[in-house]
Amino acid sequence: MRKQFAKTIFEVGGLDKRLTVLIGDISHFLLRDIESNYPSRFFNMGMAEQAMMSVASGLAINGLIPVVHSIAPFVTERCFEQIKDDLCYQNLGVNIISVGSAFDYASLGCTHHCYDDIAILRTLPNMQIIYPSAPHEFDILFRESYANGKPKYFRLPAKTHNLSTKPKFGEVEKLHDGECVTLVAVGPQIQNAYDAAIELAREGISCDVLHLTTIKPISENSKKIIVESVSKTQRVVTVEESSILGGIADEIANIAYDVKFRHRRIGIQDKFMLNYGKYDEHCKANGLTKEGIIKIIHEFK
Amino acid sequence: MEIDYIKDLKQIRWDIVKMVHHAKEGHIPSGLSVLEILYAIYKNKNKEDSFFLSKGHASAGLYAVLAHFGILKKEELDSFCDYDSWLGGHPHRKEGCFMNSSGSLGHGFPIAAGFALSKKIKEEPGRVFCLVGDGECNEGSIWETAMYAEQLKLSNLVCVVDDNNSQIRAKISTNLVEKFRAFGWEAQEVDGHNIPDIESLIFKDSAKVYSKPFCVVARTIKGKGIKAMEDDMFSWHHKAPTDDELEKFKAEIFK
Repeated sequence: MRKQFAKTIFEVGGLDKRLTVLIGDISHFLLRDIESNYPSRFFNMGMAEQAMMSVASGLAINGLIPVVHSIAPFVTERCFEQIKDDLCYQNLGVNIISVGSAFDYASLGCTHHCYDDIAILRTLPNMQIIYPSAPHEFDILFRESYANGKPKYFRLPAKTHNLSTKPKFGEVEKLHDGECVTLVAVGPQIQNAYDAAIELAREGISCDVLHLTTIKPISENSKKIIVESVSKTQRVVTVEESSILGGIADEIANIAYDVKFRHRRIGIQDKFMLNYGKYDEHCKANGLTKEGIIKIIHEFK
Repeated sequence: MEIDYIKDLKQIRWDIVKMVHHAKEGHIPSGLSVLEILYAIYKNKNKEDSFFLSKGHASAGLYAVLAHFGILKKEELDSFCDYDSWLGGHPHRKEGCFMNSSGSLGHGFPIAAGFALSKKIKEEPGRVFCLVGDGECNEGSIWETAMYAEQLKLSNLVCVVDDNNSQIRAKISTNLVEKFRAFGWEAQEVDGHNIPDIESLIFKDSAKVYSKPFCVVARTIKGKGIKAMEDDMFSWHHKAPTDDELEKFKAEIFK
């Protein structure tokens, strides 16, 4: 995923001289081609994320297209007010690209985890949130949206899926048809959701599997697809590597506000994840696995 | 010549006080402390130069100065802080008028630095002026930016600090000239109410050839020109005058 990030930015930066990259002292080696080929448009701003975000705002005011890159908590939570005042309030086209999604840096502890980025950024008017979870998804979605003049947040997870998805900015993609449950997944969890749906289908429990690569905005047509699915199944399971407060679970509930349905939220409960270890261990502990999804659906009468 | 701008300043001072009285809202003393700085910048800056207000609560001062120079209409000042006005308690970005939205402190300065960087990248001429407050220099993002500006060699960036001593109750931002110099800037002090001194420091030819970013620490008086406010800046920081006070201030301004 990170390699694709470097490749796409390098290619787009070669075609579009407005693209300017600011990094918070990470990914130097990964982005070395950009640094050596476009030295006047590549700046390592060190660990000063608040001013870095405002500097990006100043670049955008003069027509450049900044890419601001660091680890998720530092380019979202730490500089939330800069994103609010200097990007969203002024409606400027700055692209924030994070790595270290959710608990990717599992062993580094809670300061390096980031479960609330989607929830807090969703509340900001003008903000757009994109969550690709395969290299081709980032490539397609970045090229489609990077110059659209809006503040954007790309959340890049370390784990990727192997599905042949066809992402389009603002659109939901249905990966599996069913009648019993609407299974909505984002990020790498789409793999588990899809695999769970295949296995459940063998038992006669069929699921609609909906994949969101854009969290905000969601097109009217996609909202219609979600509402139709929820109306049909009346059972929703959302799967996300983020807080169950304010994330995709809330988004789906908002969209389907007029439909009577029951809802199970798989994600991170209202807690700090105080364990260390590996990404997979955290997934297992929080039901973010194929087995976890199947279990919830079995119990969901 | 000197008489001219003194007359101008009296009128602008009166516009600020009137505006806040009319709106029953706003920060008069901050507007008055930056008046000569804004006047000098807007009188002298050329079309390639840009100005960013970082201490947004000096909005009444900015609006009145912009109205004086014809950048916005004088009658629009009457709408200050109205529900449907575009002249809010803090300025909101508007092409041709306000480069940035401000209000929360420590934002306008890094935005101005980003704009200065964009001019370097695009090889555009002109300088970028930014007005920050001494109190605002408590914010960490001011010093993050001071570091960036030196490292990025933003010689086209001019930071003017309105050093109006408003911080005397807090952990004050002292010795700002030394602090900016320590961060690698060219820094000098000036009497922030002396227009010829400000002009000569910022707009004389030598000021345009510094190889470093340039900080001007302008010593100012909060509420300058109205004795009651100069004497009691804390009571007046965010307060509108009554009708009686308005008449008194008018007589004082035009005496």
